[in-house]
Amino acid sequence: MLTGLAVIGVGRFLQQRQDFEDAVARSYQVEIAARNRLARGERPAAARMAILAQQRRRESLREDIGGQTRDTALLVGAGLIAGLTGAALLFSGLISSMRRPLEELVEASERLAGGDLQTRVKVGGLSETAALGSAFNEMAAELERRAGERERLDRMKDEFVLTTSHELRSPLTSVQGFAELLMLEREKLTPKQAETVEIILDNTRHLVRLLNDLLDLARSDAGRLAIKPVETEVESLVDDSVRTMRSQTEARRQSLTQEIDPSLPPICVDRDRIRQVLVNLLTNAHEYSPEGASIRVTAGLHDAEVQLVVSDDGPGMPEDQLEHIFDRFTRGDAGLTQHVGGTGLGLAISKSLVELHGGSIEAASAPGQGSRFCVRLPIAAAAPRTTPDPAPSESL
Amino acid sequence: MARILIADDSETILLLLQTRLEMEGYEVETASDGQEVMEALHRARPEGGPDVLLLDAMMPRKSGIDALRELRAEGFDTPALIVSAHQDELDAGAPNDVDVSGYVTKPIDFDRLFASIAELTRR
Repeated sequence: MLTGLAVIGVGRFLQQRQDFEDAVARSYQVEIAARNRLARGERPAAARMAILAQQRRRESLREDIGGQTRDTALLVGAGLIAGLTGAALLFSGLISSMRRPLEELVEASERLAGGDLQTRVKVGGLSETAALGSAFNEMAAELERRAGERERLDRMKDEFVLTTSHELRSPLTSVQGFAELLMLEREKLTPKQAETVEIILDNTRHLVRLLNDLLDLARSDAGRLAIKPVETEVESLVDDSVRTMRSQTEARRQSLTQEIDPSLPPICVDRDRIRQVLVNLLTNAHEYSPEGASIRVTAGLHDAEVQLVVSDDGPGMPEDQLEHIFDRFTRGDAGLTQHVGGTGLGLAISKSLVELHGGSIEAASAPGQGSRFCVRLPIAAAAPRTTPDPAPSESL
Repeated sequence: MARILIADDSETILLLLQTRLEMEGYEVETASDGQEVMEALHRARPEGGPDVLLLDAMMPRKSGIDALRELRAEGFDTPALIVSAHQDELDAGAPNDVDVSGYVTKPIDFDRLFASIAELTRR
């Protein structure tokens, strides 16, 4: 509207200019006519008067037009300023109407990037921002769909492993049970038969270990691996683990020693699970080290953590093997030892278990320099915790 | 000698349990699901029935846990051990509302099982 005022002003100015030009032209015509009469000598006095009158008229016309131009210029100026102000207001309105949806988009993108796949934006405002908003929503919906699909497949895999290891357990119970039954009547068997039954039992136990390990990993993946921490003396935990291993290390004339800082405070851990970790580390040291090797367990304070170290003077590992030592189904080169009975899952499970306790585990080794596994566990009493439960557990 | 009622839907497991328990000197009765367990106890009611129940947690028709829940509601207080394939099964269906004397996981550690039964039959 104000811009209209400026346009009207300019129009008026042009009209006034036109009127002025016309009036000046007429005034010149009258003057020329008077000069002609003067030249012909017709009524010279009246002609001179007329010439003077026209000159004055033009002067007054020029004054008028000057004033009118000023007025018009003011009008146009005012109109232009008003117009610009209006445009600026309109523009800022436009910007702010785009800004809100854009800001919302930025926030939503941040939420999406942060993992909230259910985030959506309100679609509205200008057609461009609305299109942007609905494109964003489509993208988020697609991401959510795919994430859901992947989660579903993961869950199927976990369920499969859980169900399989469960289904295998009953026949294994029978195999192991009947083999044990035979061994109870060992005196009635020939030495060859007794040896055969021993082999069946050995392999059955290995299968059971493998199933237990697979089950632990599947539980860990499914977020169902649970620990029940209680206050535990480090010394009794180490004693217990060392005692479990004693007969095996003695059979290979390996020395198994322990050194525990007597001032260690108790730790809050799931006793069975940390014992499982220690026995696993000791079993590895025992199986990968030659006869007569030395295996050592030490426990001490390190910063605010209890540090449990299992070390051996066995063959050690090259760096490329050390890198993948906590991966599943990674097994050391068993060439040096005759029989390595592990499942290749022990260290992966140990890592999950230690991390579930809020601790850490690391390995150091070099060829010919033995291996050293270090477990750090927080001293502070931790509340009982499990990994987050993504799905209600089902009966198997 | 104490009498034990065992229930499992696998005949092989039943045979294994029966053989080992009889070798230990127990008198053994078998059932292949929870329904049969209940029938056996109802039949035996006047004379008191078995001294210990050894029930598989998961069985068709009626699970060991469901059978035990109903038996407890009817007033049977025979001590019971629940056998399960794995801890997960118990985590999923662990009955907080049922009086269970203990759990046995597969593969069965018979030394521990015999120790538990001996403890329960001494009472």
